[in-house]
Amino acid sequence: MANLSGRRQSPLYHVIYIEREREREREREREHRIILQEVQMKGPYHKKALTNTAVKQKRSQLFTQEAQRQAALITDIEKIEVQYDGQPENCTLIMNKGMSTPYNCAQHINQMMMERSVLAEVDGQVWDMHRPLEDNCTLRFLHFRQSDPYYANKAFWRSASVMLGAVLESSFKDNLYVELCSYPSPNVRSGSFVYDVDLKIPEWEPSKEELRTLSGEMVKLSLAAHRFERLEVDASVALKMFADNRFKTQQIPQMAAQSTSGNTVVVYRIGDFVEVSRGPMMAGTSHLGKVSIVAVHPIETNEAQLFRVQGVALPRGFLLNHFAYGVLEKRAQQMNSGRLPLNISSTEPQTQASTL
Amino acid sequence: MALPKLQCITHALKNLSLLSHPDQRALVCVNQVRAMSRVKRRHTVPPFWLPKTTRTMYPEHMTPENEVFLKDVIEEKYSSPLKTECWERGTWAKNSMRCGLIGRKIGIYPMWTKDGTRLLTTLLQVSDNQVIKYIKPEDIVQGKRKRYRELGALVIGADHIDPRIVTKEYYSVFSEAGVMPKKKMSKFLITPNAKLSPGTPLYASHFQPGHYVDIAGITIDRGFQGVMKRWGFKGMPASHGVTKSHRRGGNIGSGGDKARVLLGTKMPGHMGRERRILRGLKVWRINTQHNVIWVHGPAVPGGVGSYVYIYDSVLPDHRHTQENHPPFPTCFQDEEEVEEELYDQELHTFREPSVQFVEK
Repeated sequence: MANLSGRRQSPLYHVIYIEREREREREREREHRIILQEVQMKGPYHKKALTNTAVKQKRSQLFTQEAQRQAALITDIEKIEVQYDGQPENCTLIMNKGMSTPYNCAQHINQMMMERSVLAEVDGQVWDMHRPLEDNCTLRFLHFRQSDPYYANKAFWRSASVMLGAVLESSFKDNLYVELCSYPSPNVRSGSFVYDVDLKIPEWEPSKEELRTLSGEMVKLSLAAHRFERLEVDASVALKMFADNRFKTQQIPQMAAQSTSGNTVVVYRIGDFVEVSRGPMMAGTSHLGKVSIVAVHPIETNEAQLFRVQGVALPRGFLLNHFAYGVLEKRAQQMNSGRLPLNISSTEPQTQASTL
Repeated sequence: MALPKLQCITHALKNLSLLSHPDQRALVCVNQVRAMSRVKRRHTVPPFWLPKTTRTMYPEHMTPENEVFLKDVIEEKYSSPLKTECWERGTWAKNSMRCGLIGRKIGIYPMWTKDGTRLLTTLLQVSDNQVIKYIKPEDIVQGKRKRYRELGALVIGADHIDPRIVTKEYYSVFSEAGVMPKKKMSKFLITPNAKLSPGTPLYASHFQPGHYVDIAGITIDRGFQGVMKRWGFKGMPASHGVTKSHRRGGNIGSGGDKARVLLGTKMPGHMGRERRILRGLKVWRINTQHNVIWVHGPAVPGGVGSYVYIYDSVLPDHRHTQENHPPFPTCFQDEEEVEEELYDQELHTFREPSVQFVEK
């Protein structure tokens, strides 16, 4: 157990700790007994029907547990110097190593920086706003109204795809188990952001009202103002989280192999939806403004009939008349030219993970 | 007008009969019908069901390249090389009614007949008129009593407006027809044989010189006026002992049993800005290149620049016959060649040699 510097340990500390461990064991035994009882009642070959809500809850719980575990690893709070360049003035901030995020730095600087910043630039590298800073660094903020918002634009498009995934997972009836497949890397020129999903129904031509419902769900997600919580986890933990998704179980080992450490992947959580992805995301869902889900195209792959759901969006604060926005929506209805998801049964060497 | 109020009443009565519970009946609001003298002559506020035309403008910070692109998109969208979808064209029959046009009063000009008589004519320009919608006779709300024969209606629009500055609701009115949004719209009652497909353009050649038209328009707003200008009172002498009553109305009572001021007594008040129809105006000349119609007289309701609604005349003397009826249902100027200037037979054209008078 960690002996926190400068604090006198309570004489009962060890006793309390042992008690807690015992309680945890008892809980685990109780759970195990319940599962056994269920299996006995329904038979050994009974499989509990999967629902999206249950799976989402489980993933979120695992995320929370892992986040807490990683937070507990930091025992001593070390300080780092963050050199901030930008408005209103250049300054040096003393922040906590491994705990403080660029968002925390913005909180020290200015409300406008806090609300407007979409991404951070740490030592020239694009960085999530809620990703902890590791060492002394230089810090800049990126937003949508710069002269060249290239990275912010890409992050926005990528985040919109992830939010679309969140909406798709939670919008369908419980008897349909929706499996998210992947999305191609963001390409603004294609005219739409995309998510490929396995709905397990042979065909679906959504009506205008259904598309409007989906768009409404995206707007609700935006208004809920969730943060994009980032976590770098071991591939095994990620596999446990996404054990119920056959596409992700294929993609996670590939992504882990390409990471710098060799066996970690990055997971993001918005609200209670967890997604595995590589690239940086925008600070929070509130940066999404006007959004419309415009089309659903069926894709034939070797094993599954997937659906490519397409949408278009503008960042919050960008005002546009209905005619010009209509032109964008019309363009987004065309089948997106982004890479189609890899076939699951294909044995070709995969050069790049489909989820970026 | 009295007719809309009558409709409100019948609607309200319907509601009353459907409601059984006395409390529910008490909640229904019934519009009062007032006598003709108390009927509102003009409406200062548009009806609640009319969609707002223009939206609140806000800065969009669009790049110049995007502006150019959007202009190209608008041009491409509303200038299709394809022929407009054409419905079966009806033929003229007795008592046929065809649609009118929406024009703008652009000025007053003198013209001369061949015998030298000078007359004043009003110029009306018909710009960008297009059919927006055809309403079938079954869908027309005419009231409970079937007083009129089966008439459909055509909604005609005039003058383009940029689709970016209109509200989405107003824009959706035109998206079905596939036409650019219009500034002004009007409904014209027609017989079903005069129907036209949405998107059909209408030109000044819809009318012909020599025929007669009725013109409806909103009269000039003269503001609050006294009885002399408003009702043509004679007033009182400027001198000879008249005290402080040179332009006033004088007596307003009628005395006797009716010990009150009668309803409709002429008094000062708001004058003008009312819808009036001037009937039986002759069409003297038409220019098909600029779509201008010269109609008889300077008295077309409204000021210069105001919109007017031009109909075929309903006066019995000027009704159309089989021998002399105008192009029915309209003149399709894109398909057939039309002369640039069309003159009435009696009119002196300026290219002819001047009118000569012989001294007796």
